[in-house]
Formats: sequence, structure tokens, C-alpha cells
Amino acid sequence: MAPASFDRSPPPFFRVGFAPLTKLIFFSALSLLLMFGDKQLQFTKPIRASLSTLILPVQWLVLQPGQVASAIGDYFQNLEQAQKNLQAVQLEALQQSTRSQQVEQLLIENQNLRQLLDLKPTFTTSSQVAEVLFDVTDPYNQRIVIDKGEVKNVALGSPVIDAGGVVGQVTRVYPFTAEVTLLTDRDQSIPVVNSRTGARNITRGDILAGLPLIELKFVPASADVKEGDLLTTSGIDGVYPAGLQVGRISHIERRVDISFARIHATPLAEIKGRHVLVLQPTGSTSAPNGKAP
Amino acid sequence: MIMERRQALLLPVSPWFIALSLVVSLLLSMLMGLAQALWLPDVLAVCIFFWGIHQPRRVGMLIAFIFGLWIDVQQSSLMGQHALSYVVLNYFAFSMHRRLLWFPVKEQMIQILPFFVLSEALGFIIRLSTGDDFPGWSLLLSPFMQTLLWPVANFILLAPQRRAHDPDANRPI
Repeated sequence: MAPASFDRSPPPFFRVGFAPLTKLIFFSALSLLLMFGDKQLQFTKPIRASLSTLILPVQWLVLQPGQVASAIGDYFQNLEQAQKNLQAVQLEALQQSTRSQQVEQLLIENQNLRQLLDLKPTFTTSSQVAEVLFDVTDPYNQRIVIDKGEVKNVALGSPVIDAGGVVGQVTRVYPFTAEVTLLTDRDQSIPVVNSRTGARNITRGDILAGLPLIELKFVPASADVKEGDLLTTSGIDGVYPAGLQVGRISHIERRVDISFARIHATPLAEIKGRHVLVLQPTGSTSAPNGKAP
Repeated sequence: MIMERRQALLLPVSPWFIALSLVVSLLLSMLMGLAQALWLPDVLAVCIFFWGIHQPRRVGMLIAFIFGLWIDVQQSSLMGQHALSYVVLNYFAFSMHRRLLWFPVKEQMIQILPFFVLSEALGFIIRLSTGDDFPGWSLLLSPFMQTLLWPVANFILLAPQRRAHDPDANRPI
């Protein structure tokens, strides 16, 4: 403290800035503004994207202990287990080989038939493999973060699948990472078709007795739905390619007082896997919100 | 009556230590978040509250706000949710910082528990009102865990100030 300033201004002991209540009101208002902006107006997107890029190195640092631990775990996994895994995979490949050999022929046949009937050709979609970095910490949502972002041409709204079936959809894209909302999230809807009956429905994520499941919405109580029915994407949304496996019906509850049946399905994707496949949305112009219609 | 217990006079705090403790607790918070366990305490909230009590001039609401924003982006929760929680926590810390330190640690814990509950409930109410999923009851345990961390924070964060005074440090020779 310079002695010259001592007699002109109050000593620093008394200079405490704004009153705490003023500061509280200011920062609370700022937080509320940000929340409103985040939820309704979407103007926080650039702030979030730039901050998340800033955070990325720290995030990487925090992820290291877990990755080192899992690497050590992998290393000490014994030979027997590895051989068992290999055997299981070989068996699975053998079981799938007959079907996969037929696929080529079926594709050609299908194409010819479609030409004969003058139908639109089906699209093949490009895809890229991404690694799952971590589950999003926020307990109110079900999302995962993958290691491909805007730089690797991950588009908002891209469907994400794994070996089992549909995992979810990309709902936030950052420069180097992207966030995938799982199909068991409340806000995530997928148009599906019941492969046994051909009935089209919409699914939504739902938690039943602590278990993340998907729920079939707006199915009349008298509809033909059985446990074990396979749900696949219908492809009419212009986001998901048709025919991806979504889930299998596991609970049906028909009650007299409600005109709709409560139907839950178990997702077929092994959601906690390490790698996923990010597909390009089939009709890239639709789905402006990144959410399936 | 006031000085009835044996109290150590504390050395002045180092701003670098405050910064270090905040950064370390931020990293710890990020690390514990990866575990996906709702009952785990928010270490950063404890640290911000602690310095709000002990050094209200140095750790104010601006710092609480910035750290909250960081957590919001990292957890990809609603932007401003943690910022508001931490700011409110820091405000209550400031409002009670003259009174709280006259009590022994056990009684301090009883007094700070409501504030941790309040700041947790604030985020909870905000998220449910914006139409998010109910995460589960174990969320309610986290303020209690944070309160249990209070003696630990007292021990660790005050340790550098409890060192013996070194007369050689500024003795004119």
C-alpha cells in the first residue's frame, strides 16, 4: 500500500466491495439467466462449447487413473479367460456366418424386387467407430461422451449403435467430443416398428423399478403386443436407418381404467460397452433440434 | 470464557495454498463424478464453503460462480445449476463466518448441515422443474457426507497454518 493514498481513500480494511446480498442477487440472477438460456433459448451453446474445449486437458487428466487401472486389469486378466472369450466370439461368428453369407444375395434380390416394384432404393449410411470416454456425471440424464466430435464430422442428431443395437443419438457436439443421449433417457424418442406385427410405435426412455428401460407410447390396450416381440427402427423419421434393433418387449401391463397399455422393452444394445458406431443421419436435412421427431 | 479451550494461533494463510486446495478439490470432484454414485460428497462444495468461512475476503461469490460454471460444463448439467448452488453456499458461509468459528467442530457440523442440504435441494428442485428424471433417493445422502467431511477439511486445509512459527523467517540480522 502506497502511503500517499492513505489519506485520500479509506484504508483497505474498510473497503469490502459490494454488499454480500447485492452480490448474491447479481450472481443468482446471472445463473438463472444462464439456466433459462440453456433450456429455452440455446444461446449458451457457444459458451458451453468453448468452455468444454478449455476443460478437455483437465478432463483427460482426470480420466487417466481409471484408464490406467483398466489397462492393468486387462494385463493381468488370465490366459484362460482370454481363451474362453475367443472361443465364445468364434462360436458367435460361426453362428452368424450362415446369415451373413445370405445377406449379399438377399440384398441383390431385394434391390431387384424394389426395381421391379419401382420403389425408392434404400440408403447405405457411412459410419465411424468412436470410443466411449465416460458416462456423463449429471444424475438427471442418461448420456455418454464419445471421443469423436465436430472435427471428425460427427453431426448433431447422428444415430449411435453398437453390436447389440441402437444406443442413442448424438445430442451435443463439441469440437473434439460429442454427447450421446441414451435411448433409455426420458427425452429420447425413437420411431420403431414391431417386427412381428408391423405396427409402428414411438418409444421413450423410462425407468421401471430402478431399471433403465424403454417404454412404448400410445399403444391401445387391445393392441397385438406380446412379450418377446422385437422392435426395430422404422426409418420413417429420416434419422435412423430402417431395421436397426432397438429392444425386446419385456413387461406388458394392461389395466381397465387406462385406455393405453403400459409396455416396456429392454434395450438390446450393451450400453456400457467400450466402442460404438456413429452413423450419418439418413436424411441429413431433417431433425433440426437433434431430437427424433 | 471465550478462550476457555486451548487454541492455537494460526499463521497467515497463503493464497497459493487456497488456490491449490480449490484446484485439487475440483479434480477430486471430477474424479468422483465418474464413479456415478449419487451419495458421494461434493468435495468442491465443502472446499468453497470452508474458505468462505475462514477466508471470506479471498474466496467470494465470483470464485464460487466460476467453479460452479466449470462443474456445470464438465458434468453437462444445466448451465448455471452448480454455479447457483455454490454462490448460495458461499453467501451463507459469509453470513455466518463470524459466529461459526466460536463453536467446536462437532457443533459446527450441526450448524452447516442445513446449508449443504439447501444447496443440494436447490439443484434438485431446479432440475425437476425443468422436466428431468428423478435420479434416486441416495442423492439426499450427499449433504450428510459433505458434513462428515468437515472435520477432515478442518484438519487438512488448516494444517499449513498450524505449523510452528519460524522466527528465522523474518528476523533482522
